[in-house]
Amino acid sequence: MMQKFQTVVLEKALNHLLDAQQIDIGALEGKILHFSLQDLPVEVNFICTNARIFVTSDGVEKVADVDIKLQFESFLALIRGEDLTDLLRQDKIMIHGDVKTAQLLVDLLQQVDFDFEEALSKWTGDIIAHEVGKVVKKFKDADNPLEAIKDEAVNLLIAPKRFH
Amino acid sequence: MEKTTHFGFKDVATEEKQSLVRGVFDSVASKYDLMNDVLSFGAHRLWKHYTIASSNVKTGDKVLDIAGGTGDLARAFAMKVGDSGQVVLSDINAAMLNEGRKNLLNKGVSGVEFVQLSGEQIPFADNSFDCASIAFGLRNVTDKEQCIREMYRVLKPGGCLLILEFSKTDIALLEKFYNMYSFSVMPKLGKIIADDEQSYQYLAESIRKHPDQETLKKMVLDAGFGSCEYHNLSGGIVALHKGIKIN
Repeated sequence: MMQKFQTVVLEKALNHLLDAQQIDIGALEGKILHFSLQDLPVEVNFICTNARIFVTSDGVEKVADVDIKLQFESFLALIRGEDLTDLLRQDKIMIHGDVKTAQLLVDLLQQVDFDFEEALSKWTGDIIAHEVGKVVKKFKDADNPLEAIKDEAVNLLIAPKRFH
Repeated sequence: MEKTTHFGFKDVATEEKQSLVRGVFDSVASKYDLMNDVLSFGAHRLWKHYTIASSNVKTGDKVLDIAGGTGDLARAFAMKVGDSGQVVLSDINAAMLNEGRKNLLNKGVSGVEFVQLSGEQIPFADNSFDCASIAFGLRNVTDKEQCIREMYRVLKPGGCLLILEFSKTDIALLEKFYNMYSFSVMPKLGKIIADDEQSYQYLAESIRKHPDQETLKKMVLDAGFGSCEYHNLSGGIVALHKGIKIN
């Protein structure tokens, strides 16, 4: 399960993106989406209300409108623009509940034009953001991001000087 | 049979508690901020910073800060909501509210509305605010459930409740240190710095009588909030309860 402070960070990031890009989440007003990654410790509720998204890790009394379970790889595929129905047909996503609400969330996420480096540079400065951006891009473009992360960790242990 | 409630470890008549709490805050108002820094080693600033970060408040929002005292949260909220938003700093105690007004004026913060009110009877219409907060004030309220119900009433659908308050740690060693610090050190510091040992004795006692994390979470959900989760800070010595009004 995500740590509480991680949900705060995710909530701030999501809402910052929505505001900065003036994305209207009206279609999701009042909806609760339960979202979990099967291969990473990520399990959250997205509560869409009052023109913003709240992110919680527990404590929701109302039953979620939709429960979405998928692997991290499938999540990346969705963000890159793959069709939700195609992924459903391939059993790469499990959805219980209102599929239309799930589709609305996917449409929203696909609208977001996220320049990771630009966002991070506000906190770390341009050089670090660029270096981190290169690493993240490598993982995002990899066929198997988890394996890519493990490979990089092994490389770091064997040849740390490469990373200076 | 007379209804009683707790004032620290003492049982007092329910009607008496409010005036007793007023007496405490009349006494500590002028040294409140200094004592917060000294007693918490400055940690209260981090707890409040975390509360603001968790608020999901944005430009144009309307925020009600209850028992806002000297204005820490109100100042931070005012920066977030901007000129198109509104912040109401409220407190039941006139001395604390005056300190809040002075602080905000000295820091160049304008546009905040100051209202003297009781959390048990909030004089605002239903569905008025995007966020309602109460930091280190709920434990002093006589009828906490009523206060939480009132906060629910004045929040808009989708509004966010924030309760920042001392709570219970389940780390045994920390609890031992905290008890020693609360009952042996804090009242002595209160005597030296604020010339008021009794008020800081009350502080230590009132913390022990306050509901723990799960009990407060249940109170928030019972008031009608559709979601409530708490974040333990400093090992659970302080907890932030965040409730969302879901229609």
